[in-house]
Amino acid sequence: MSNSLQGFDVRAATFAADVEQAFWVNFWISIVLFLSVVAPMIYFAWKYNANKVKNEDVENVTHNTALEIAWTLIPTAMLMVLFYYGYTSMQVLRTMPAESESIVVKVEGLKWQWRYEYPANANGHIHKIGGAFQKPKIDDKGKVIEKGTMGITALYVPVNTNVILEMSAPKNDVIHSFFVPAFRMKEDVVPGRTTKQWFNATEVGEYDIECAEYCGTDHSYMYSRLVVLPQKEYDAWFNSAEDTPKGNFTKTGDALLQRHGCTQCHSILTDEMKIGPSLKTRLSKEQVLHVIEKGQNKLGYDMGAMPAGLATGTDAQEIAAYVAGGLKGEKPASFAACTACHGEDGRGMGGLSPDLVGYDATLLGHVFKNGKEGMIGRMPAFPEIPEDEISAIAKYLENIGK
Amino acid sequence: MSKTYFDETHCAIGHPKSTFMQWMLTIDHKRIGIMYAAVMFTFFFVAVATAFLMRLELFAPGQQYIDGNTFNQAFTLHGVIMIFLFIVPGIPAIFGNIVMPLMIGAKDVSFPRLNWFTFWLYILGCIIAISSLWVGNGFADTGWTFYAPYSLTTGTNVIFTLVAAFVLGMASILTGLNFLVTIHRLRAPGMTFFKMPLFVWGIYATAWIQLLATPVVGITLILAIMEKYFGIGIFDPAKGGDPVLFEHLFWIYSHPAVYLMILPAFGIMSEIIPVFSRREIFGYRTIALSSASIAGIGYLVWGHHLYTSGMADIAKTVFSFLTFFVAIPTGIKFYDWIATMYKGKIVLATPMLWALGTIITFAIGGLTGVTIAMIGVDIHLQDTYYTVAHFHYAMLGGVVFLLFAGLHYWFPLVTGRMYNEPRAKIAFYLNFIGFNLLWFPMFIAGYLGMPRRYFDYLPEFQIYHQASFIGAVIFIAGLVYMFYVLIQGWVKGPKVGVNPWRATTLEWHLPSSPPPLENHSKVPYVDFDPYEYYHGEPVVKFDENMRRID
Repeated sequence: MSNSLQGFDVRAATFAADVEQAFWVNFWISIVLFLSVVAPMIYFAWKYNANKVKNEDVENVTHNTALEIAWTLIPTAMLMVLFYYGYTSMQVLRTMPAESESIVVKVEGLKWQWRYEYPANANGHIHKIGGAFQKPKIDDKGKVIEKGTMGITALYVPVNTNVILEMSAPKNDVIHSFFVPAFRMKEDVVPGRTTKQWFNATEVGEYDIECAEYCGTDHSYMYSRLVVLPQKEYDAWFNSAEDTPKGNFTKTGDALLQRHGCTQCHSILTDEMKIGPSLKTRLSKEQVLHVIEKGQNKLGYDMGAMPAGLATGTDAQEIAAYVAGGLKGEKPASFAACTACHGEDGRGMGGLSPDLVGYDATLLGHVFKNGKEGMIGRMPAFPEIPEDEISAIAKYLENIGK
Repeated sequence: MSKTYFDETHCAIGHPKSTFMQWMLTIDHKRIGIMYAAVMFTFFFVAVATAFLMRLELFAPGQQYIDGNTFNQAFTLHGVIMIFLFIVPGIPAIFGNIVMPLMIGAKDVSFPRLNWFTFWLYILGCIIAISSLWVGNGFADTGWTFYAPYSLTTGTNVIFTLVAAFVLGMASILTGLNFLVTIHRLRAPGMTFFKMPLFVWGIYATAWIQLLATPVVGITLILAIMEKYFGIGIFDPAKGGDPVLFEHLFWIYSHPAVYLMILPAFGIMSEIIPVFSRREIFGYRTIALSSASIAGIGYLVWGHHLYTSGMADIAKTVFSFLTFFVAIPTGIKFYDWIATMYKGKIVLATPMLWALGTIITFAIGGLTGVTIAMIGVDIHLQDTYYTVAHFHYAMLGGVVFLLFAGLHYWFPLVTGRMYNEPRAKIAFYLNFIGFNLLWFPMFIAGYLGMPRRYFDYLPEFQIYHQASFIGAVIFIAGLVYMFYVLIQGWVKGPKVGVNPWRATTLEWHLPSSPPPLENHSKVPYVDFDPYEYYHGEPVVKFDENMRRID
């Protein structure tokens, strides 16, 4: 069970954008059709209200061929557009990739759990994982004492890879439905049949799996979780005999920071200063003052280097305090010296310049590529860290601050 | 000399003296209609109470008042009552009985005794359905769709509900048969099909669906019963059957059933709009024929309930394509109604308010139906609250709202009295606001991924459930108030004569109100269109012998 809403703002599979587009085309056409009925209705109810109309002004208009043709053909055309979008988005959802280019996982839905079976790995081990969601514990008065948890019931897949799910249910079971809202995908799991669906996850993270076809007592607890791992993380797990990936798999970013050895120099969850600065907070006051005084030319942003001495004296002090405080509180007037490049909110104008508030993926990318030099010392470059892992780390660090 | 219920043979058996027995045995279509209304609204409130219990439980995540199994039974009870006991018999059983024969100038339906039998068959079905609350291992927990193999394996008392649905289906077939024959054989002389009021067209189209589609669900339910008790292996995969076959057979009936519900409701709309716009209806023939074409195409679209069932993609495509063609005649009707208001003299009395309110709510219900007719989008929205909100907007905000519109419109016809107009308007606004607050948040929750039939939910969805709960409270208050106002009007409202709305159709040209036994004093001759107004006044007037005076 995740803590963020993973259906609406998350779009984590290749085809989610197609479904979304079809939905919004439909939404706006619906608004037009809705208004074409309701707007004249309200206008007529006002304009021809009995209080305003004399009997002799009432006219029996019973036909208008042009208008009738228009309100038949135009909505028909609009509906055909919607059919087309519904059809094409289905095509994307239902056109299975070749099995040779995909991971094929067998999914079994049964009362009330999801089970997953992977193909044999290099060592001949077959992962059989999954299981029931642990229901929340409730006291006599109906208060939740302990939240429900997933335990180890996750389906692990690598990012940017085709995954085909071959789904079935035991013959003496009932129909279930495998629904991943964040991916916009769903297909029934029918006893005695094998149904299929596929996806290609675009973002490392965790997503809810829900049962969408009513299946009895614990239907509303038939959750599971889809964990999208970076390729290396996935490979390491898949080739092992472990049931769950190493590291804290609920926090993929944490596992990555461990693997790349980041934690040897940086503390993550505390403010403790190791060889490098803590990653819990973005910048200290001293660091900001140092950059303002010396400038910064190592990061390699297209915007170029930051010249030294853009602010001095109390102005620099004010700015440093404001930035170190996470840009909360009253904005000092002197901060105007920074906004041209870093933006009013200090977030680096969507990757054009360094983010002053958090570690966005662009900033991490530049640091890993070029290394970094500053007040505290020199950090070497780590150019081998791939992009999907960088975004996972950025996402993880972003959430720590909250 | 007017006849009475005592000295005429207007009972199915004998000549009982007591008023109570005269009602129980009556074959008079108006009395039967009133009895249907009394029983159906009683069940309606039982189902509303069940729904409120579920809303209460869903107010917060976790378990508060009922456990998961009880919740599952609650939504099954709600669905079974609302669909099989209330909305399917719905408008035809109440207004089809009371008003349709009056509209075509008939003395009764073609087979009054069959009508009486049908009513009691319906009561039998209701008793069987409800009795399983106390008999056996508890009420069914399958949902009103009885999907196999769940319904075959659950330990609850599904058999009673299946049998009840079968018996109620039988009653529905007989009603349809009776109305078909009545409309074909008993129209007043001169009244061709294109001179019939549009409500009669709605009932006519519906009667065909009742007659032709209901047997399919009857067969399906029997197969399910045989499967459950004799293990013949049609739906149960453990015995070599196919559960998806059940879904197909179930929806072959249950999708046309949706049109069976809405077409008579559209008929009520077509009655109210011209009367309260004080002018002829726009596009009479288009509206009449669109009812017929909806009834026709409605048979061919059931597969849109099965986009995620594992059905072949080509079948999904064909069903989706056909589904869009049901939307077209429906849309045309809406434009015709709006055009009817153009240059009219619009009286915003309570029936008209309900009709116009329904145009808004049903437009939302219909257009969100278009969303889930789109295959790729429906794959995401299928079995979520989006779908739940959609069909409540269409069924409650369409069919039931128009049933309420008809209740206000024909109230003076049935009772001879008038309800308190300002209070009835307050009741409408309460209902309208409560309704939208209750169901609109569910569109959002469903889009975000809230599945239906969930007893518990992720904490993210709580805000939508809470908004819905507040809406439910307002809506139920509105419903109770509306019935209070109507009952009060029936008991002590002012007497208003036979045609208080200055309407044109034949049911408003009766010798007295409430209508006497055997209706019109003489058989009228119909050589005029149903909604003839000139300068805001009805054109056709009758003398006491139902002859036209110009």
